[in-house]
Amino acid sequence: MIFIAVAVAIGVGAFIAGWYLGQPSRPDADKNSPYECGFEAFEDARMKFDVRYYLVAILFILFDLEIAFLFPWGVVLEKIGRFGFLAMVVFLTILVVGFVYEWAKGALDWE
Amino acid sequence: MTFEHIVFYAISLILLVSGLLVVTVKNPVKAALFLILCFVSGAALWLLLEAEFLALTLILVYVGAVMVLFLFVVMMLDINIAEMREGFVRYLPVGGVVAVLMMLEMAMILASSKTGLVERSHPVSHGADYSNTAEIGSVLYTDYVYPFEIASVLLVVAIVAAIALTMRKRPQTKKQTPSRQIATRAGDRLRMVDLKSEKKQP
Amino acid sequence: MEFQIPDFAPAYPEIFLLCMAGAVLLLDLFLGKRFRNLAYGLSIASLLATIAMIIGSSQQATTFNGMFLRDLMGDILKIAVMLFTIMVFIYSRIYQQDRHIFKGEYFVLALTAVLGMMVMISAGNMLLLYLGLELLSLSLYSLIAMRRDSLHATEAAMKYFILGALASGILLYGMSMIYVTTGTLDLAQIHAAIRTGDSANLVLSLGLVFVVVAIGFKLGAVPFHMWVPDVYQGSPTSVTLFLGSAPKLAAFAMLMRLLVGGLENMSGQWQQMLIILALFSIGFGNIVAIAQTNMKRMLAYSAISHVGFFLLGVLSATPDGYAASMFYILVYGFMTLGSFGMILLLSNKDSESDMIANFKGMFSAHPLYALVMTLLMVSMAGIPPLIGFNAKLAVINALVESRLYWVAVVAVLFSVVGAFYYLRIVKFMYFDQPGEAIRLNGGMEMHTLLTINALALILGLPWIGWLIRICNSALAQLS
Repeated sequence: MIFIAVAVAIGVGAFIAGWYLGQPSRPDADKNSPYECGFEAFEDARMKFDVRYYLVAILFILFDLEIAFLFPWGVVLEKIGRFGFLAMVVFLTILVVGFVYEWAKGALDWE
Repeated sequence: MTFEHIVFYAISLILLVSGLLVVTVKNPVKAALFLILCFVSGAALWLLLEAEFLALTLILVYVGAVMVLFLFVVMMLDINIAEMREGFVRYLPVGGVVAVLMMLEMAMILASSKTGLVERSHPVSHGADYSNTAEIGSVLYTDYVYPFEIASVLLVVAIVAAIALTMRKRPQTKKQTPSRQIATRAGDRLRMVDLKSEKKQP
Repeated sequence: MEFQIPDFAPAYPEIFLLCMAGAVLLLDLFLGKRFRNLAYGLSIASLLATIAMIIGSSQQATTFNGMFLRDLMGDILKIAVMLFTIMVFIYSRIYQQDRHIFKGEYFVLALTAVLGMMVMISAGNMLLLYLGLELLSLSLYSLIAMRRDSLHATEAAMKYFILGALASGILLYGMSMIYVTTGTLDLAQIHAAIRTGDSANLVLSLGLVFVVVAIGFKLGAVPFHMWVPDVYQGSPTSVTLFLGSAPKLAAFAMLMRLLVGGLENMSGQWQQMLIILALFSIGFGNIVAIAQTNMKRMLAYSAISHVGFFLLGVLSATPDGYAASMFYILVYGFMTLGSFGMILLLSNKDSESDMIANFKGMFSAHPLYALVMTLLMVSMAGIPPLIGFNAKLAVINALVESRLYWVAVVAVLFSVVGAFYYLRIVKFMYFDQPGEAIRLNGGMEMHTLLTINALALILGLPWIGWLIRICNSALAQLS
């Protein structure tokens, strides 16, 4: 209960503080314009992305999933014995084949 | 009505409303953000069920990774919003009627009979030292080892497919190879050429 | 419960195939372009070796806590899947080379698709059915999309992917409802729970409906057939060839494992659903196929009608009916391979040659292949004395034995309608003048195999009884 109260207080507090403090006292055109590094601030924010971002993101997801499988394994490693250990070794070996492919193919290079 | 009930209904309400907004909101980026809200409330529901590991995985994998990809795709496609909206109003009556009918049918079935052939006891709640992660782990790598390995094959297929479908060699790009840069020697850079000095013609 | 280390021996063929898929992936990557034929040869060799392993270790076994089943039906279907895949590789080699999709990835993805089918075929648990199905589908989607510069292929992959994902979702939903009522994912335990419990439980029936709808999607039965013509037409012919043959066997196995292995005591309910699916498929497929001008599209509609026909055997809900169905689907896969093989034979670097008009005047140019095509078409139409007729006959017999007379009559009537468009192609080949010169493509090995493929449809007749008997004994083991 205390946890929830603190969480709500921080969340709401941040909103209120931002709204209260964040208003420029003397607004002008430059202060109101968004500032972002790298992107042109005067265009549509949704510029087209290169398909290579997509490849990197999808490879990230796949290995993210692999890590998710490692968590419970680490927790119960002592209980599941050698068989459980070898099960994960096989799992990783299969994925390493994929990883070698991806590396050697140059999918990780940005060029 | 216990505290758990209140939390359950509050989270479910958020889940349903944000789910509805995912479909109806105009801007695809906003729709993706509402989808994140959906996932987070789903994870909260799982926490209520004492499935902490699944809840955290949902946030890690879906919110952390899948939604990033979603946003990339939304950005990449540069969707024309107005064009996408055109069909919506036209198909709303038919789709709405079908959706309502399906919902009624399912509600009738779920309300009319008992749901299980097998009698199961009410799920017991466990103490603070109960670990859902350990419970999953103790069967996933032993009893369920076969589907577990198949899952890794699926991941590899996804890797191969993603690379085969999106990778393009760009032969015209000029890239550095650091190993060759380091291994270079002065002799590679500078070539001493002996030039015979010209003799003036007498 | 004490954990016991499972027996890996029944699964050795799968493990071997997986290792070989990895080997093909890495070897092709490191040896590069010059050794492309190595991936081709190695894939075929590993499939052959896996077949040998299956034959050598044929047994009835259950392992991995009942998740993995080894039985005669599974073995036959696996062997057939692999034989079909080998034929696909051989038929499509030149076609792939011409279109620059003769890559190592093609073989790896095909091998993983085969692995997915094997997982489905020997699944004793709904979880494994789903995982195998996903492994198969994911490989197929990417195989279709592999030809990246073709708009049609991308469109086909997209349609297949979206509808396939929807079907997977529906399947999972149905499985979850079955899980809610029976409290287990294991098919044998589901079977036991339904036998002792109340099979009229409404939630269970709802789950069944979802599962049948999902299988209907995957098989392409009317009214869930919308993707079939577009995907068949849009995919590269080499992939259509694969898509149209081997996965049908896996879908049959899925039907058997789920509906017979798990939900047998609800046969009264799924029988009626399948009657609707089957009759609409036969009717719709056969009638719409008449209007097609594109050969691949026509064969797609023909596939819909054949799927309907094969469902007829399943819905008779007797072991004889299942055996007839199994025989039918094996024969159908064989005929499909030949028919798409013919399209591959006519295609060349510049054109797909997938119009029906491309077959005009075949007889005057290449009498042998006109005969080959005739055999294939006549067999597809189910005209005696070809094997296609025996397959149809077996299914109709099973229907009559189950006293579903009116269903049998309707099916026969539509088959007669269907015969029209198959025979129209025969007429084009023999009586029409060729539009342009017909050039044959493909290597020696393809020509030989294609001819054998077609001739087997008539020369294999003496062994028909033996094949049907095997199917019968395989299905007798199941129930």
